[in-house]
Amino acid sequence: MKGVFDLYTARDTFLHRLDPRVKILAVLFLSLLGFIMTNLIPLFTLLCFIILLLYLTRSTFSKAYFALKFVLRLMVLITVLWPLFDQSGTPVLAALGPIKITEPAIWRGLTSAIRIGCLATVWYILMFTTTQRDLVRALVKMGLRYDFGLALAISLRFIPTFGFTIESIKDAQRARGLEFDKGSIIRRSKNYIAVLIPAVVYALRTAETLSLSLQSRAYGARKDRTYMREIRMRSSDLVSLVIVVLLFAIPAVAKFVFGAAI
Amino acid sequence: MTEDHSQGGPPVAQPPLAQAPQANFVSPKTVAIYGVLTALTAAITIITVIPFPPTKGYFNLGEAMVFFSALIFGWRAGAICGGVGSAIADVIIGYGYFAPITLTAKGVEGLVTGTIARLNGGKKWSSVLGIFCGGSCMVSIYFLAEVIILDTGIGYALSEMLTVNIPQVAIGGTLGFVLAHYVRKSIRLPK
Repeated sequence: MKGVFDLYTARDTFLHRLDPRVKILAVLFLSLLGFIMTNLIPLFTLLCFIILLLYLTRSTFSKAYFALKFVLRLMVLITVLWPLFDQSGTPVLAALGPIKITEPAIWRGLTSAIRIGCLATVWYILMFTTTQRDLVRALVKMGLRYDFGLALAISLRFIPTFGFTIESIKDAQRARGLEFDKGSIIRRSKNYIAVLIPAVVYALRTAETLSLSLQSRAYGARKDRTYMREIRMRSSDLVSLVIVVLLFAIPAVAKFVFGAAI
Repeated sequence: MTEDHSQGGPPVAQPPLAQAPQANFVSPKTVAIYGVLTALTAAITIITVIPFPPTKGYFNLGEAMVFFSALIFGWRAGAICGGVGSAIADVIIGYGYFAPITLTAKGVEGLVTGTIARLNGGKKWSSVLGIFCGGSCMVSIYFLAEVIILDTGIGYALSEMLTVNIPQVAIGGTLGFVLAHYVRKSIRLPK
């Protein structure tokens, strides 16, 4: 768990140069595409496309592994557990007492697992290629209020700081003889109180200092803020946006207007 | 108010500060506290991972922070800090597809807890009732979302509810209550 607080990897690919707003919209549209698809083969194609994009982000292997190991575990669990609870369908492959394993249930489980795979991996296209600062800027540009955006930026900035603070509080309490890795689950959770209280008090003191420094930097003095780095749509961003919208619109029209089975 | 441009700098296009439209932002204290509580919720969710031996599952104490924010700072802080903080943590530790659901579930949890805990002048039993109702909301939202939206199947949703979410809410609720009690004593809280 240590050290992975930011999934961003600095590279110079076309996905990194893309406008963050386009990337956010692309993630939303591809997720919606995953929802409207119901058949195995289109979903599998979508998953392959997403994985190709992920490969093109040129992220480091350790980050990609970290991101994908949870997804793989979840996909395997769904595929295994689905047939046990879905008893419908005719070709019964195996039966053990009241539990029957049917063939359609297995396919449905696999389809669902691949859909979850799509929904889970598509996020990393955004997270691997966008700095947190650009993400917040894009959200503010898309209509989030500036003060909420600032709170979000503050929280993203402080997550690693608090992470390391909590680790050092844990070490300090360990040095006093508190154990976090032994005993029953109740005891372990109880021991965490000795970590949480100092962490919360430290955080509230930080908030007080932070609010003073916000005030001293004339936060909220005027409405028409200017920015050092403006994000602007270039022509290549517009082309990408059109491609993403078409990628979503064509299957959606095919399904809901012409009734194609996808 | 006269401005002197004789130093050679370009003329300032913006109106002077006194005439500029004032921003109706929330107060800096609120921004700082919300930002910090969100960060703390996310950090605790990421760091305090406790293995749960019966199912080889893991759960975290981020719940305690959601309840704490709701009990101390009210329903708005509970909803925003709990929802956003847990969603950020989900994105960071690799459950990004869960982030919208987490935002809703933990947001509603913080909202319900904060609202009910303030009833009757904030007595102890109303905190307990608030934690119970908020926790039930969160567990049922997760279950329904997994079954209906993500379509993971009843099997997976049920196993996750019983092995992860319910113990997490029970322990998180207890810790959040204890935490709020001690922190109220140890620090003079800003209003």
